Amino acid sequence: MASVRLTDRPLSVASAFRALEARGAGGVTIFVGRVRPDPGTGGRVVALVYEAHRGPALARFRALAREAERRFPTLGLVLWHRTGRLRVGEISVIVGAACAHRAPAFATARFLIEDLKVTVPIWKSERARPARRPRRPRDRRVGRSAG
Amino acid sequence: MARPVTVLLFAGARVAVGRAELRWSVPAGGLAAGELARQIAAEYPRLAPILRSSRLVHNGEYVRGPSETVRPGDEFAIHPPYGGG
Repeated sequence: MASVRLTDRPLSVASAFRALEARGAGGVTIFVGRVRPDPGTGGRVVALVYEAHRGPALARFRALAREAERRFPTLGLVLWHRTGRLRVGEISVIVGAACAHRAPAFATARFLIEDLKVTVPIWKSERARPARRPRRPRDRRVGRSAG
Repeated sequence: MARPVTVLLFAGARVAVGRAELRWSVPAGGLAAGELARQIAAEYPRLAPILRSSRLVHNGEYVRGPSETVRPGDEFAIHPPYGGG
């Protein structure tokens, strides 16, 4: 049983864990992706904006879930992605897999996130804090009188 | 008058065009997807380099080839490389 979601509302790890409840699920792996400040921009990234082509994105989520169920012995799956403006630290994506044992649970979650990043029509763009203007050198001249 | 094609633009394609959506007139009998993309790039030159790395989507499905016919009223989308997660 797979849960797919594309939403502009905050994502909850606790809710994802509940969605992965399944009889016989001895191993549950949840991957959580969060917005981080990009060191390449000097930590100026304050938010990411995610956009999606909704219909094809949800169709791809469902196809991805079917492929995971074909490849791995899964008992439950979660594929959730956020859209809209997310501040640094907010959760952008949750994928999860419930299986009888840990090895397929890890493998399934890895498969889901790696495939999602390259096959689901979702894009992100950075929103950065404006760069500080360089300070003007201090005028060291002294002894000048006005006028 | 035939209904236009709705062209959806995402990410870099949207930035290059300056809009998220266009209405594009096509002949009543339709237009090849490749020709439609060429016409749009000719109108918006900044889109051309982005188109080279983009996937074309017709009514929610990937375009199978440049000769696929896009008809009035259809939806046509330009998908630059994805970046979710």
